[in-house]
Amino acid sequence: MADLPLASIVAAAFGGVAWGIFGGALPGISPSITMALLLPLTFGLEATTAIVMLASTYVGAEYGGSIPGILIRTPGTNAAAATVVDGYALKEQGKAGEALGISLYSGFVGGLFGLTVLYLLTEPLSTVALAFTPAAYFALGMLGLSVIASLSRESLVRGLLAGVIGLMISTIGTDPVTGLNRFTFDSPELLSGIPPILVMVGVYAIAELMAQAGETGWQHAPRERARIRFPRPAVWKRIARPQAIGSVIGTFEGMMPGGGGAISSFIAYDQARRFSRHKEEFGKGSVEGIAAPEAANNTVACTALVPLLSLGIPSSNSAAVLLGGFLMHGLVPGPMLLVENGEVVNGLYLGLLAANIAMVVVGYLVMTPCLWLVGQPRPYLTAFIFALVVSGVYAVETSLFHVGVALVFGAVGYAMRYFKVPVLPMVLGVVLGFMVESNYRRALVLSDGDHMTFIQDRVSAGLLLVAVLFVIGSLLRHVRDRRTRHAGR
Amino acid sequence: MPPASAQERLEGLRIIAPAAPGGGWDQTARVMQQVLQEAGLASGVSVENIPGAAGTIGLARFIGAERGNGDAVMVSGLIMLGAIVTNRSPVTLDDVVPIARLTGEYEVLAVPAGSPFRTLADFLEAFKARPESISWGGGSAGGSDQILAGLIAQAVRVAPSRVNYIAFSGGGESLSAILGGQVSVGVNGLAELAPHISGGTLRALAISSGGRLAGLDIPTLREQGVDVEFENWRSVVAPPGISDEDRRRLAETIDAMVHSEPWRRALEQYRWIDRYLAGDDYARFADAEEARVQAILRELGTGRGERSFADAGPYPLFVLAGLVVFGIASVLSFRRHGGPDGGVLIAPARWGAVARPTGRVWQPIAVLAVGILIHLTLAERAGFIVAAAALFWFTARAFDARHPLRDAVFAVAVSAGAWLLFARVLQLPLP
Repeated sequence: MADLPLASIVAAAFGGVAWGIFGGALPGISPSITMALLLPLTFGLEATTAIVMLASTYVGAEYGGSIPGILIRTPGTNAAAATVVDGYALKEQGKAGEALGISLYSGFVGGLFGLTVLYLLTEPLSTVALAFTPAAYFALGMLGLSVIASLSRESLVRGLLAGVIGLMISTIGTDPVTGLNRFTFDSPELLSGIPPILVMVGVYAIAELMAQAGETGWQHAPRERARIRFPRPAVWKRIARPQAIGSVIGTFEGMMPGGGGAISSFIAYDQARRFSRHKEEFGKGSVEGIAAPEAANNTVACTALVPLLSLGIPSSNSAAVLLGGFLMHGLVPGPMLLVENGEVVNGLYLGLLAANIAMVVVGYLVMTPCLWLVGQPRPYLTAFIFALVVSGVYAVETSLFHVGVALVFGAVGYAMRYFKVPVLPMVLGVVLGFMVESNYRRALVLSDGDHMTFIQDRVSAGLLLVAVLFVIGSLLRHVRDRRTRHAGR
Repeated sequence: MPPASAQERLEGLRIIAPAAPGGGWDQTARVMQQVLQEAGLASGVSVENIPGAAGTIGLARFIGAERGNGDAVMVSGLIMLGAIVTNRSPVTLDDVVPIARLTGEYEVLAVPAGSPFRTLADFLEAFKARPESISWGGGSAGGSDQILAGLIAQAVRVAPSRVNYIAFSGGGESLSAILGGQVSVGVNGLAELAPHISGGTLRALAISSGGRLAGLDIPTLREQGVDVEFENWRSVVAPPGISDEDRRRLAETIDAMVHSEPWRRALEQYRWIDRYLAGDDYARFADAEEARVQAILRELGTGRGERSFADAGPYPLFVLAGLVVFGIASVLSFRRHGGPDGGVLIAPARWGAVARPTGRVWQPIAVLAVGILIHLTLAERAGFIVAAAALFWFTARAFDARHPLRDAVFAVAVSAGAWLLFARVLQLPLP
């Protein structure tokens, strides 16, 4: 450990985190793009420094995504979608500073937990990813979708409707198994499908904008003055449980290819609610509803390295970019890396520790300007958000067509609000649809069309059982709630 | 007389990567950018990403927007040939000017160490006896891995349509399926599989190169009686309609690039194999590859119109059934409870704020819509700053901003700032 270029590792960690928070906070710019844009810059750096910088960018981006999620109801990254619900609700109550503080602190806790797992358990856990067959991935996706049942508290039917619409949207594009085009209406732009982030930008940011435009009376509302507040000890105690839930879920999701931050955040959010003593606050500004998903997605940023370092398997796009960074410096992640390049791996662990500390420092520093920004007069703030969102979408997709798609989803989101159809299940459907469908069909191709494969595969059977239990539990609660409501009348 | 030097510097070369940042084409483009500048062959080189549909969107845009531009090139390759077929793209690689093939990657057939298949012969025997019982795992449908699977089947006289190919999206998923023994055999790039082959967890049955590679103890397909040679090559092309002079300059610059020291170093770092082939030789090679890829994909059944909805199995029907059931149930619940009172779901505290639309509500939304329309019309005609400024101004207006002039100043300042942010800091192009 003595030979490590400590100073440059710490500098790289700070630089990477700052860049990551910046990129992650811009709606539309995903963590993987943020990292890839940094790649050419790391070309000339020493190997350990370069890899620390890229990994820190990932850490920073996972936190950065929650900033616009909380402040302007627009998740900067897919993984921040679950944070939007309670984060924005808190902001509406004038507690934006507190929400950001909880997000930052939970991200730090999750990151440290993930790092500990990475440091101690990389080798024993490396085979977890391999135990997941397509059938098991399908079951994992179903577990994710089962969250819909408990998220749609009062109108289950509309929640399910929204979820199915999300699944339908995810079938647009190239068929994952046969490579044929579906529902593309001969439009080349639709061949790659509709990116989930466009749906989120539409149903969250643009729909919110339209709703605000239609409101009256806000001119007379007092100007919000949000201040940065780190969680008080009472809150600390309260969010310890959701953080633990988020960290554990994030650990497993991070290790599975195709899992990634978004699923872990949703499941963590749902589980935190299930085990919470203040269930009724969820959706209306619960601090626990921020702590769980934020701990989860920052845990993922570390545990995604488990299969990458031990097997060379990138479990997400961001991990794939990191893999590119390794290769660029002549390092090959896989069984031999830990043996032959132990010093690089140690340097990386150290760098990740520095990155998590840097996240708190940089995250704290950027809060003030961010809060200043959202404290501006409403007309300019909304106009600024709109211009930023539209440019972000354009810059990533380089096509006006996709700007149009986001705007259409804005209109859809507005209509859904009017008819009181929840949007979160639809977002969940869009995010998970591809995984559910492609693995369902892969599993069937492997089993020769026999559906028993989902029960014969132990992992799959276990996950499906859990999903069924979740749904039954939610339904029972649903019925009970309805009865108490009727009884109250 | 044009300057005689082959080393004349290209000014402001733009390299189009028809993929999102991070993939193989993007890496190639960015390495080219790096090397061209480092070797002093070009200055002000920029990379633009146009992602989508395995490169065919980038190709269409390149042909449409860059026609006759001598300062733009695009990275291309075998995968694009496949995508042109599967996506039934209206434009093809015949529509661009070939410059050179740059790099290639060989594919490997591998099985887990515990597999009953010791050699390629074992494997092929089982495959020929019962083709459908063998599952081949690799990357996305219509990509290089599936093409090779089809070519091998064809070479051993099994109809490629009987290849039971499982397409995984992304390198991570296919690699873990191969390592986890979920498929009978894995087809993947050498770079992805090499660490596991040398580590002993995977056994390589064959490599798709013409001869054995130095330092690698993997027999080729051809020496084991399967007459297939295959590589996932990457190349660089120029837009149609450029002058012979521009073409010569680009070709000379690329030639100088592949012979430079930084390029050699980059090849080593990325473990790319130098497959430089320029000019007419490359054009002939690309034509032959196009014919081969088209033929095999047709045999494999990707990209044909006849295969349809039914191939997706029961999945779409499940989704459709769900939609019908919940759709009807939702309508019933609306009728029973009425719209607004029908139940507030997961929602922010202010959820009920969307009021029943009245004239007062629609007016600002109409202003917003006008702003959006103007933005969409202006964006590619008048440039980003003007279009974004218009959007800003109208949005502010919809929210009751009452100082048209001051708003306009703010609007221009903000959109100029956004332009600087994206185009300069992030190097992402805006119109």
